[in-house]
Amino acid sequence: MRKLLHELETMPKFMYVTAALTLFGVGVGLYRMLVGLGPTTNLTSAFPWGIWISFDLATVALSGGAFTLAALVYVFQFEDLHAATRPTVLAGLLGYSSVMVILLFDLGRWDRFYNVFLHPNISSALLEVSWCISAYTLILIYELSPVLLANTRLKFLLPFIKKYTVPIVIAGVTLSTMHQSSLGTMFIIMSPRLHPLWSSMLLPIFFLVSSFAAGISLVIGGASLSNWLFGRSLKIKTMAKLSWFIPWILAFYLVIKFGELVITEEWDLLFSSGTYSAMFWTEIVLGVLVPIVLFSIKQVRFSRTWSLIGALFVMGGAVLNRFNVTWFAIAGVDGETYSPHWMEIAVLVGVVAGVVTVYSVIARYFPVYEETETSHSKDEQPRPLEQSHAVGD
Amino acid sequence: MSHQTNNPRYGFLIDASYCIDCRSCMVACSVENEVPMDSTRIWIEETGVTGTYPDLKRFTAPFHCMHCKDPSCVSACTVSALTRNEDGIVVYDQDLCIGCRYCLYACPFSVPNYQWEEPLPLVIKCDMCFERLGEGQQPACAATCPTGAIQFGRYEEMLAEAHRKISEQPDKYVPHVYGEEENGGTATLYISPVPFEELGFPIAGTTSPAYSNRLVTEGTPMVAGMMLVGLTGAYLTIKHLKEESEQEREESAHGASSDAAKKEE
Ligand code: SF4
Ligand code: SF4
Repeated sequence: MRKLLHELETMPKFMYVTAALTLFGVGVGLYRMLVGLGPTTNLTSAFPWGIWISFDLATVALSGGAFTLAALVYVFQFEDLHAATRPTVLAGLLGYSSVMVILLFDLGRWDRFYNVFLHPNISSALLEVSWCISAYTLILIYELSPVLLANTRLKFLLPFIKKYTVPIVIAGVTLSTMHQSSLGTMFIIMSPRLHPLWSSMLLPIFFLVSSFAAGISLVIGGASLSNWLFGRSLKIKTMAKLSWFIPWILAFYLVIKFGELVITEEWDLLFSSGTYSAMFWTEIVLGVLVPIVLFSIKQVRFSRTWSLIGALFVMGGAVLNRFNVTWFAIAGVDGETYSPHWMEIAVLVGVVAGVVTVYSVIARYFPVYEETETSHSKDEQPRPLEQSHAVGD
Repeated sequence: MSHQTNNPRYGFLIDASYCIDCRSCMVACSVENEVPMDSTRIWIEETGVTGTYPDLKRFTAPFHCMHCKDPSCVSACTVSALTRNEDGIVVYDQDLCIGCRYCLYACPFSVPNYQWEEPLPLVIKCDMCFERLGEGQQPACAATCPTGAIQFGRYEEMLAEAHRKISEQPDKYVPHVYGEEENGGTATLYISPVPFEELGFPIAGTTSPAYSNRLVTEGTPMVAGMMLVGLTGAYLTIKHLKEESEQEREESAHGASSDAAKKEE
C-alpha cells in the first residue's frame, strides 16, 4: 500500500488532472444513461448524430497508424521500422477503446448492443464498421500482448504469440482497410444530406487513404512528444523513414479528390459555395498541400520539432475532414443547426483524459519504447523517474 | 445486389388541395399507436400564408413515411430492425433496434423520429397500420380524414387515380405525382395545387442512394478476400526474395573464399 502511494506521488502532475477529468466525464456519461439523450445532448431528429460521432471518426482515422505500420513492417518487411510498431499499436488500441466507450454512451439502446452480432444487416455500412472495429480491437490486443506479458508469469506464451503474428497481422490489416473505408461508405447513403464537395461514391477510398497519412503522422507526432515528456522516443532515422511516405500518400489523395470533382462536374462548387468552399480549401491547403511541401524537405524529416509541426498539419486536416463530413457539411432539416451540449463535451473530454492517463501509465511501466532510443541514458529498462536521474547524465 | 423495385401492394394518395389542417389524422395516429400527440408518426407540412390580402392562401398536407420501394432506412439499419415486408410496407421491429439512429440520417425525407426524452428510446415511424390492414380496415389516418385528402387502396389504383385527377383538372394541380419517382418510387403518392417545394417537401432524387450503398457494402466481402490473398502473396514473395538474395550473397562470399583458397594452392 505504501509502495502504491509512493508510486502515485512520483506520477507526473498532469496525471492528477487527467484522472479528475476522467472521473467527471464518466460521471456525466452515467447520468446520460440514466435520463436519456434528450436532456443531456443537443441531438434532435434533424441532427441525430453529433460531436461524439465526429470524434469517433476522427479518432479512428488517427489510429490508422497501427495497421499502416503493421503492413509496412510485417507484410512488406521494412524491418528498420519495427521499432515504431509497439508505441503505435498501443496508441491504436487506446484510440479504438475510447471510440468503443463513446459509442456505448451514444447508442440509444446500449443495453442490447449485442444485436449487432445476432441480427446483422449485411447491406449496412455501419454493421461492417462495428464488426471490423470489434474484431480489430481484439487483434490489437494480440499484437500488444508481448509488451504486456513480457515481465509476467505468462511469459511462456510469447513464442506461440510470435508464431502466429504474421497471419494475425494480415487479418488485422484487412479488417482495418475494411472499416476505415466503410466509415466513408456510411455517408454514401446520406448523399441527400451531405454537401456535394464531400459527398462521393469514392468516400471509402478518400477515408482509407487519408487514414494512412493521419495514422503515420500520429506516430511521428507521438514520438516527438514522448521525447519531451518521458525522454524516450524513436530514433530520428526511423521517424524520417516513416515521414518519407507522407507526401506520396497525400499527393495520391489530392489527385483522386480533385479527379472525382472534375469527373462528376462539381468543380465549380470549389469557389461558389461560400463557407463550404472555404472549409474545403482549409482542409486541402493546411491538411494536404502544406504537409506535402514540408515533408518533401529532408531537413524537416530529420528534425523532431519540424516533423511534429508537419504531423500536426496532417492530423488537423484529417480531423477537420471528418468533422466536415459528419457535421459541418451536413444540411439541417428546415434550417435547423446543431452545436454540442456541455455534457456531450464533458463526456468526450473525460474519455480522452482517460486515454491519456492509461497511455502514460503503460508507457511508464511497460517496455513500450524498449527497442528504441532513450535520449537520457543507454539503459533500456524503463525505470521510475528518480532512479533515472541517478543513472542519467 | 438486387435493385428492389417491385411495386408495393398498397398505397396512399394524398391530395394537398383537400387538406384543411384539422389534424384529425394526427389524433387518430396518436390513439391507434398509443403515442403522445407530440410524437405521432405523422405531421403537417405547409406553404405558410401566401398571396396578398384579401386573396390569401395557405396549403397544407400530412406527411408520414413514404414506404419507399428501395428504402434507404432498410439498407442503412445496422441490425435489420427496419425491413420491407412482402406487401411493400416498411416495418420496424422495436425489439431489435440498438438506437444507432443511422436510419434518421439515411432517410431522404427525414421521416424517422426518435424518443429523445426516454432513457431507453425507440424509433417512431409509420407502419401503414399493417395490423389494421390485416383486419380488413384502412390505416387510422385514412379512415379518419373528414375531407378525403388521404385516400388508401391498391398501389396501382392510387397511381392511376393520381394521374386521372391531374389530367382531368390540369389547371388545379401541378403536373407531378410526388412519390412516383422520388427516391426510386414510394407507396405514398401526393398531388398538389402548388409546387411541392413550396409545401416544404424535400427534393429527392429519382434513384435511391440505398442502391449505391449496396453496390459498395455488398462488394466488401469480395474486396476483403482479395486483400487477404494479396497480402499473403506479397508477404511470401518478399520473404522469398529476401532469402534468395541473402543466399546469393552467402554463396558469392563462399565462392570468393574458395577462389582465394584455390589460388593459394
Ligand atoms: S420514407 Fe424514409 S423511413 Fe420511410 S421507407 Fe423511405 S427511407 Fe424509410
Ligand atoms: S436506430 Fe434502430 S431502426 Fe434505426 S438504423 Fe439504428 S438500429 Fe435500425
